Amino acid sequence: MKRTSEESQSRLPDNSALKQQQLPAYWLQLTATGVLSGFFATGVFCLGVGIILILSAKSIKEIEIKYTKICGNCAKLREDATNFDKECTCSIPFYLSETMQGNVYMYYKLYGFYQNLYRYILSRSNSQLMGTDLKDVGTCAPFSKSHDGTPIAPCGAIANSIFNDTIILSYNLNSSIPIEVPMLRSGITWWTDKYVKFRNPRSKNLSIAFAGTTKPPSWAKPVYELDQEDPENNGFLNDDFIVWMRAAAFPTFKKLYRRLNRIQYFTEGLPAGLAYTVTGAVTWLAFFSMMAIHLMLKDRKMFFTEQ
Amino acid sequence: MREGVVGGGTLPLTLPWGARAPAQKALRWRSVKLTSARQWWCFSEMKYIKCFISEIPWNYSWYYSAMSLVESQSEDRQSEEQVRYLQANSRELNSTFGYPNNTIKTSRYSVFNFLPLNLFEQFQRLANAYFLILLFLQLIPQISSLAWYTTVIPLMVVLSITAVKDAIDDVKRHQNDNHVNNRSVLVVMNGRIKEDKWMNIQVGDIIKLKNNQPVTADVLLLSSSEPYGLTYIETAELDGETNLKVKQSISVTSNLEDNLGLLSSFDGPDTKLMQNCGKSTFKRTHMDHLLNVLVLWIFLFLGGMCFILAIGHGIWENKKGYYFQDFLPWEEYVSSSVVSAILTFWSYFIILNTMVPISLYVSVEIIRLGNSCYINWDRKMYYAPKNTPAQARTTTLNEELGQVKYVFSDKTGTLTQNIMIFNKCSINGIIYGYGYDKNGQRVEVSEETEKVDFSYNKLADPKFSFYDNTLVEAMKKGDHWVHLFFLSLSLCHTVMSEEKVEGKLVYQAQSPDEGALVTAARNFGFVFRSRTSETIMVVEMGETKVYQLLAILDFSNVRKRMSVIVRTPEDRVMLFCKGADTILCQLLHPSCRSLRDVTMEHLDDFAFEGLRTLMVAYREVDNAFYQAWSKKHSEACLSLENREDKISDVYREMEKDLMLLGATAIEDKLQDGVPETITTLNKAKIKIWVLTGDKQETAVNIAYACNIFEEEMDGIFIVEGKNDETVRQELRLARKKMKPESLLESDPVNTYLNTKPQMPFRIPEEVPNGNYGLIINGYSLAYALEGNLELELLRTVCMCKGVICCRMTPLQKAQVVELMKRYKEVVTLAIGDGANDVSMIKAAHIGVGITGQEGMQAMLNSDYAISQFCYLQRLLLVHGRWSYNRMCKFLSYFFYKNFAFTLMHFWYAFFSGFSAQTVYDTWFITFYNLVYTSLPVLSLSLFDQDVNETWSLRFPELYDPGQHNLYFNKKEFVKCLVRGIYSSFVLFFIPMKTIHNSVHSDGKEISDYQSFSLLVQTALLCVVTVQIALDTTYWTLISHIFTWGSLGFYFCILFLLYSDGLCLMFPNVFQFLGVARNTLNLPQMWLIIILSVVLCILPVIGYRFLKPLFWPADVDKIMNRIHLWTRHPLLPPTQTKLRHTRPRRSAYAFSHKQGFGALITSGKTMKDKVFKKNSFSFKK
Repeated sequence: MKRTSEESQSRLPDNSALKQQQLPAYWLQLTATGVLSGFFATGVFCLGVGIILILSAKSIKEIEIKYTKICGNCAKLREDATNFDKECTCSIPFYLSETMQGNVYMYYKLYGFYQNLYRYILSRSNSQLMGTDLKDVGTCAPFSKSHDGTPIAPCGAIANSIFNDTIILSYNLNSSIPIEVPMLRSGITWWTDKYVKFRNPRSKNLSIAFAGTTKPPSWAKPVYELDQEDPENNGFLNDDFIVWMRAAAFPTFKKLYRRLNRIQYFTEGLPAGLAYTVTGAVTWLAFFSMMAIHLMLKDRKMFFTEQ
Repeated sequence: MREGVVGGGTLPLTLPWGARAPAQKALRWRSVKLTSARQWWCFSEMKYIKCFISEIPWNYSWYYSAMSLVESQSEDRQSEEQVRYLQANSRELNSTFGYPNNTIKTSRYSVFNFLPLNLFEQFQRLANAYFLILLFLQLIPQISSLAWYTTVIPLMVVLSITAVKDAIDDVKRHQNDNHVNNRSVLVVMNGRIKEDKWMNIQVGDIIKLKNNQPVTADVLLLSSSEPYGLTYIETAELDGETNLKVKQSISVTSNLEDNLGLLSSFDGPDTKLMQNCGKSTFKRTHMDHLLNVLVLWIFLFLGGMCFILAIGHGIWENKKGYYFQDFLPWEEYVSSSVVSAILTFWSYFIILNTMVPISLYVSVEIIRLGNSCYINWDRKMYYAPKNTPAQARTTTLNEELGQVKYVFSDKTGTLTQNIMIFNKCSINGIIYGYGYDKNGQRVEVSEETEKVDFSYNKLADPKFSFYDNTLVEAMKKGDHWVHLFFLSLSLCHTVMSEEKVEGKLVYQAQSPDEGALVTAARNFGFVFRSRTSETIMVVEMGETKVYQLLAILDFSNVRKRMSVIVRTPEDRVMLFCKGADTILCQLLHPSCRSLRDVTMEHLDDFAFEGLRTLMVAYREVDNAFYQAWSKKHSEACLSLENREDKISDVYREMEKDLMLLGATAIEDKLQDGVPETITTLNKAKIKIWVLTGDKQETAVNIAYACNIFEEEMDGIFIVEGKNDETVRQELRLARKKMKPESLLESDPVNTYLNTKPQMPFRIPEEVPNGNYGLIINGYSLAYALEGNLELELLRTVCMCKGVICCRMTPLQKAQVVELMKRYKEVVTLAIGDGANDVSMIKAAHIGVGITGQEGMQAMLNSDYAISQFCYLQRLLLVHGRWSYNRMCKFLSYFFYKNFAFTLMHFWYAFFSGFSAQTVYDTWFITFYNLVYTSLPVLSLSLFDQDVNETWSLRFPELYDPGQHNLYFNKKEFVKCLVRGIYSSFVLFFIPMKTIHNSVHSDGKEISDYQSFSLLVQTALLCVVTVQIALDTTYWTLISHIFTWGSLGFYFCILFLLYSDGLCLMFPNVFQFLGVARNTLNLPQMWLIIILSVVLCILPVIGYRFLKPLFWPADVDKIMNRIHLWTRHPLLPPTQTKLRHTRPRRSAYAFSHKQGFGALITSGKTMKDKVFKKNSFSFKK
């Protein structure tokens, strides 16, 4: 009896592994064998992956056509801001020595265009782009409202500075009339962007839906008239718009513009040996940045080199 | 001076209370336990009291009396004297003075003021204030570069963790307060004695205390049930002293009748204890100071970076941004790129704030708390006999336990148990006390040795044990000399006895030595039963005899002996004397020369074993001679001039021609494992100094016994000069022997000192040419501590392996510690158990109190409380070492991870127009320190062990890196910075270069800002997780869960934050909709992450692996051996068993004080003196 009462009073700490710092554990030690074999294994792994990647990158063909200088006239024209709505076209012929097999993608690439500036990247309204509240332009400074106070849709600096050159790829089959290479303007965005993040305001007619808003100051057309051919590709759901709105991380970036529609002559890809012409309808951006069109053939992997 | 006046009129009288304790801490009479008086009338007293006892209605004779007490408080209040007015037992009048009531309040908060007060206190901390300022900066839209919640959420979490901790602490304090406040006490109210709670007591109340009641107030003794108004109090709860202190009521009140009430005047917050509470300065560790410096460095670094980036921004705006205005016009308030650059400076200041880690301080607190808990939980530091576990009273000093270089130890109660045991004796030339086995061979006494059976003696003390039966046999046979020897022990002392239960004697001894002797006599059959001022009652082998006490020739330090003169029942006058052998030898009758020689041999044997020895002698005095002597004695006592000398002459006359009886040997028991502990600590290069109030002989004896001094030392110096010059010479001489070149002008230290460096400067370590010990006594130390000898002392003393400072006052103890702290960059630890160690405990970096001796004072002021000295090695070598290692690993990693995290923004600035764009999602910034990386680093710093406790005790050398602070210092910090820069470089440029030209398999580009953010932050988190996995050497299940769990948790949070639901609900807050789904399913993303991790980690592994191979430190070699042994457990390392050879050294320590004998024999005339002498005595 006495014993038990003494024991209940005892201040002897618990004998648990945690409290006695005796938790079962594994001691990690840097042993020579461990370290050396680790180094070796890592080396082999990196080498292997590197080789695979280099090989797969080799099968990728890429043509980059810079048109900033060639289309210098247009650039000059644009330097005068009053000419913003005048069209200017220029063509660049090039020759494809080999067939580009498989899927072909056309990108536009901008050099030194800072899409990642702090204020630039914030200058958008996600709730507006979701179509829930067109008037929510609070985060869009300095392009939130027009002079008369009408909210801009889509608001913000990103939307305002959209890349709106038109690039057409033609194929000169036999030096007569060039055939326009069929290009798809769909499927160039993330699924989540197209179907979740960007929504048009609910209404049968887009122009009614966007009533009470105005187009961004640098835009020639309102947002609901971006694609004249495909009415579904209008408003905030326009693929080119969505692609542009996904701001790039670095000042030099490329964005997917079109992908080859593999029909007629082009089921295998872009046939080689023939002359192509790129016609750019440069509207207003060209003066600032140098641009390029990438034609890229994609097999499976992209070029990704390491080591 | 202290004459009370009865009758009309008031006469102030002054009690010079604190006067006996100059420069001590103020004595605190706050919870004193009554032990001896059956009842105790007292009047609780405050700091300074002036009270008028008027009109005590239940005692007419005390109609008017007055007293005033003025007490000078020591230390900081020395100059200031206050007078307190009060009237006894008159609450109405006293309430007009506005004294506080006796409610103790140590708690800081109440329910209502907790939030504002706690927040206010927290924001006084620099780090918190900084983040608050940052928050305000963030609210300025022009420079805001981060969402407000990135700072608010971490700040809230940090604040609430601290608030919860404070709240828990305060709840505990409230509980303690309630417990103390609700103790009950008898108080006189309206002429009746009523029971009330202590908290309701007011100044001027008269209270009645019974024996063994705690006293929760400063009280003034009015009257006692004991004769002469004496009480005996124990102040163990205050200062750890268990020996009784005598208190005497002033004569005017001491005649109060027994049944009267008592007077209490009192103020909870004004009591001495409360006044002294909380004044102790907050101790901070070296690591804290280092952290402050480093945070300053970080600020500078941060400022530098912001400056560079601001300039970059200015240039960029000039060259590019100006033209980019078509797309992004400047804000209206930005008139030029310069304005923009200035704003950017602040923007980057906000972004890069994570360089100064917000959770650093709170994490450090949590880690220290956790490691303190381990100390509390350690079963191996639990002392079963006293039922006390070790206790970490401070949770802020842990890692410093792993850095201790100097240990300052008290002797009594710390190295020794302060238990005296009658171990052996030599009676009439025969030695007793050795254990014998059945064959009559001498054996070492151990637990199993059969104890002597004292059952024949009903009054024996059951706790007493003795192992030699021959003595008992001699006793029973009626050996004359043996009987006389024990009779002498039972008569010649100043012990008081108490017999609460018939047959159960309790002795109250002034010194434990004396108690041991009387107890021994009691057990062998000569029981000292009781005494009056004129008689001593002894039960001799069952037969009660009363001896008439004629005189006590009291002990003094000079005489080193004491005698009693008694008249035996047979009407013989006998003198019994006990004292130091050196003194007594010369007083012996020539006839006992041969016996003396034999006894001296025995004494040598005793001394060899480290026992304290006393000689015992007697003399039969002729009645006439006694009468003549008695007359002379009275004259001497009454003489006005040279009384002391005259008395000692008279004594000398009596104490001569003594007949030798024998010698006693008392063991001053060392605490368990003390020598082993000290050897281990010495191996860890911890220097141990003994600072004691004891005499040199005793101290040195103990020093040898516990291995601080060793026989094989190259030399031991004794510094005992009585003036400046001798002390200097002694010190220089010692230094000359230890390191001759250190006296030359060309010695680097001398050259350094000659340059007269500015304070604070540090004296570098000097290496002597051997092992030396040094003994210095308090007298010389007083000179040595004077200005110009200070450095001399320090340099000499620091070269010695062991140092003994004896005859130290508490203040000197603290001064020595302070000296060390001032000139040496070392961590000092002071360990002690009594009130006299408090100053040293408070002064040292770490104060350790020994508990379990019922003492509280040392413990209350200590940072760590352990119950045995030997636990110190575990506290330092295991807990300290682990805490230090963990703290260092934690800090290295913590800074690294924040640098790697933050510097990424710096690199990104060069590609984002220096626009204060962050690389990461704001939510990642919010959670990085708080959620993603906090648990792994916590598990590292709570569970990691580089080697287990067995190894760290077996190889004390492993303690070395802590002493030199090798694991985290400025150099290590720079290494962290470099590593952080490297990692951030890799983590930024690898993803950047790999991603910027790559596309998804369906042609979609992946180099958008959000994907890049996700990629970089995932890679960063993987790198820091792998890094901590490498840092962790001890992988418990918890480490696995925390480390890998955090990484997994990151992905879970990621999918939550980037999920449709949340993003659609708050589209402008959660912008990263779908990024995780679209990016993390790309194989090249994972390849990028793997590549980044490999490139970040490989160099670290390489460095860690190669460093011990090419530049091995001592620790590395030991670690190698340990690893070898763990892998091949066949070769257990043998630990050499310690062998101590006890030096041949005599020890005389008669630790009690003069004056007690006089108290016993004399009446009131001697009372005041006794009172003064004993009331504030400190244990030596």
